[in-house]
Amino acid sequence: MISKLIAPFKNYRFTSKLMITYILLTVIPMAFLGYISYNQYTKSIEQQAGENYPKLLRQAKMNIDQQLSEIQKLNELLYSSSTIMSILRTEEYQNQSALLRDQFEMNTYLSRTFLSGIHSDILAVFVQSNDRLFHSTRVPLVEEVNSTNLQHISYNRAIPFYETELRFEGDIPYLMLEREIIDFDNRESLGTMYIVVDIRFVDRVIQDISEKADVWIMDHNQRFIYHTDQEKIGRIYDEIKRIPVFNGSFKTLSEEDNKVMSVSQSEKNDWTFVHSIQTKYLTEQTNLVRNVTIIFFIVFVLISAIISILLAWNVTKPIHQLKLLMKDVEKGNFNVDLSMNSKDEVGMLAKSFNSMVYRIKELIRINYQTGLRQKEAELYALQSQINPHFMYNTLETISMSVEEGETDSVVEMVALLGQMLRYSLSNKDEVVPITTEVSHIKDYLIIQKYRFEERLSFKVEEKIDISLYNTPKFILQPIVENAIKYTIERNELANVTIIIAKETFDAGEETIVFRIVDNGPGIPPDKLKYLETLLKDDPMTKKSSSFGLLNVHARIAIMFGDNYGITINSHENMGTEIEIRIPVLDRLKEEVVES
Amino acid sequence: MSKKLLFPLFLLTTIIMIYIFFIKSSQGDYEILYTYEPEERELAIEQESKKYKIAVVPKQHNIPYFRAVEKGAIDAAEELEMELIYQGPALADSDLQISTIQEIMDQNVDLIAVSAIDPNKLAPVLKEAQNKGIEVITWDSDVLSSSRSFFINMVNPETLGRHLMDMMALTMDDHGDFAIITGSASAANINEWLKWIKIQHEEYYPNMNLVEVVPTDDNPAKAYEIAIDLMKEYPDLKGVIGNSSVGPPAAAQAVMDLGKKGEVSVVGLSSPSEMKGYLNNGAAQVSTLWSPEKLGYLTVSLSKQLLEGEYPNDLQDVPNVGRIQVKGDTVIMGEPIDFTKENVDQYDF
Repeated sequence: MISKLIAPFKNYRFTSKLMITYILLTVIPMAFLGYISYNQYTKSIEQQAGENYPKLLRQAKMNIDQQLSEIQKLNELLYSSSTIMSILRTEEYQNQSALLRDQFEMNTYLSRTFLSGIHSDILAVFVQSNDRLFHSTRVPLVEEVNSTNLQHISYNRAIPFYETELRFEGDIPYLMLEREIIDFDNRESLGTMYIVVDIRFVDRVIQDISEKADVWIMDHNQRFIYHTDQEKIGRIYDEIKRIPVFNGSFKTLSEEDNKVMSVSQSEKNDWTFVHSIQTKYLTEQTNLVRNVTIIFFIVFVLISAIISILLAWNVTKPIHQLKLLMKDVEKGNFNVDLSMNSKDEVGMLAKSFNSMVYRIKELIRINYQTGLRQKEAELYALQSQINPHFMYNTLETISMSVEEGETDSVVEMVALLGQMLRYSLSNKDEVVPITTEVSHIKDYLIIQKYRFEERLSFKVEEKIDISLYNTPKFILQPIVENAIKYTIERNELANVTIIIAKETFDAGEETIVFRIVDNGPGIPPDKLKYLETLLKDDPMTKKSSSFGLLNVHARIAIMFGDNYGITINSHENMGTEIEIRIPVLDRLKEEVVES
Repeated sequence: MSKKLLFPLFLLTTIIMIYIFFIKSSQGDYEILYTYEPEERELAIEQESKKYKIAVVPKQHNIPYFRAVEKGAIDAAEELEMELIYQGPALADSDLQISTIQEIMDQNVDLIAVSAIDPNKLAPVLKEAQNKGIEVITWDSDVLSSSRSFFINMVNPETLGRHLMDMMALTMDDHGDFAIITGSASAANINEWLKWIKIQHEEYYPNMNLVEVVPTDDNPAKAYEIAIDLMKEYPDLKGVIGNSSVGPPAAAQAVMDLGKKGEVSVVGLSSPSEMKGYLNNGAAQVSTLWSPEKLGYLTVSLSKQLLEGEYPNDLQDVPNVGRIQVKGDTVIMGEPIDFTKENVDQYDF
């Protein structure tokens, strides 16, 4: 499976691979690190909030509990007034007016004492005593208060509004605090005092922690007694069925809108105080850090991408160049040069490539040109072997001899011609014993002698045993032809001497030398110079009158190297000496090798 | 690094990251960050299971004032689930009181609360009780502070003494002769009040003349005789202060019996139930007192609190008693109440 996934990657360009690798190597660890550290940072902030908010909430809870108990104790103010105590102690009235007078007295007192500034959150005060009901309210009631909608519930806790039947205009949520009025002197109960407190007093207590957060108080049925969102007061909290901690904090782990919720329980009223803040508000400050981190990350990634691109380019550019050059070379263009100065692997590769291309070029040149020259040389050799001009002249000579009746001469000439043709046709071997080559040239010279009679004399000097050595074919005939041709043109008498010798060449190497000496007019110096340059140069470029000479030189050079070939030694009017130098080709040794 | 290795490595990293991400979100609905234990307040409840046995010792048993105290004490003991012994001498005699205390000490009580007749005589026996590990407090009438933990006083003695004098003066129009019928000569609280009555008299009422201070030993019969005698001896007598609860009823009865209503005014410390008739028919003008039941109740409440290891606090709200004041080692229950013709019906003690 992995190999399938890798497959496309494998086919990417080297530059892309390098770039991807570099970027992955820098980006992944950085992203990973960044992610982890941001996560940890956020987590620690949440943890801190998770420890701080419960403490603040607990403080608020204690504050609220204390305020409630202080409000509850306000009923003690009744004890300070003997008039009020006297009214409360009254059990029976003689007449209605006395009752109404007391009610007026009491209501006025309640209003004056409890609703004028002691505690601005007190909405109403009720006193129930001996079937009488005294009351004073700041906000009008929806329904007149009476003994059915105002009933004693509990002295021990603050009673949320939904447990009572009293309703104020505007549906103000409230808490009712009940306290028994005790006549301490007579040690008996005088009734109950109800103090109704606007629940919104909690707003002030929690204002420090309610910013951006939801704070609520709920009873054991998870019903909101108080909520920062007033709409919710009285409803049931159903987001979380069971709060996992009673005193402490936890974090919800839902898909979104995660919250840190702090809980504190009030034992007194069996209330749960909850503070809920979305983590996004907690981590608001971290967003700056996160953004800065991201910007740094992007900048860093860009820089590292640029660096990696440059690096990849740097590495792959020469390789790319190499690739293009190789393509060129592949197409056959060897005139390429990869100049690179670096000493690294790529530089070394370029150097190797350069030398390789050079070598290939050289080899191609040598193989190609040698082959070509050889073919041309062979073609020429074939041409020259059956030189029509020579054939014509020979046949003319034979014809003349037949006319003159010189039968012996004719027979010999025809035999010689036959031998020559056979030699020419036996083309299989490139090298032949010197004896064979020499006898061939002798045949040629004898035929020419028949033609030119006394005007031509020749001599073959053998300074070595020529039967022991080999030589390339047809190296003598073109030279001798030229020598006869030029000499006969100018002189009455032509002397051609062929010397075959073994000589030591400058490096001490043994060579075999054929020297063809004539007494011809020699070669004019400019022509000689020209010839010498031709010999040194590429001898096969032009067809010229000296083609035979050059062909021989080229063939030898191709076969044995540039050290061998033809040297011309000539002075005007002093004759010409042509030297053919070949390596010593020992027949015996070659036979051994062949066998 | 070889290319073959690189790609799996990259894959692995990605997989790990995804894994971490999913692990995190699949841990359930909550992650608890912090918890703490709420304050421990359950210890006190455990101790409550122990039932304390206390003894409250009045000066004497059979006068209305101390019977009212007994009523309050019994109520408190019932409500607070304590065992109570309310036992006092038949007569206000300190020797009898000492033997009562000795008797109680053998009954394995945790605390003794005493209203002392004679602080000096009582000191040794209270010391003895303390040495036995019994807590000792006093109420109504104090002993030396070294012999008890604290003293529960009904009212501030200075306030009370000066107030009694003021009431006397008010009914006598600030001039004329008056006498004081006090309780036992040795009782600390009564002597303290007497001291402040005299101070108030000297400071503000030069036209008034205190003719005599007579002790009654809290004996109602004796008190009546003394009142008759006083009125006979001093024909110009304009007023009588009863400095202990037996005084004012005796004086009022004497006023009635001698037909001196309107001539001699009677004020003093006595309960409304005893004084109701005299106040209504004009034989007495003002009776001042506190609620003796409340005193009994407070005594038992604070006894329990002390046994639980807690000293009374200033402005403490004692259930069914109200707020108390604490000054040094003295608890003050509240302010005195004046009973007059108008309000005496409101009170049932």
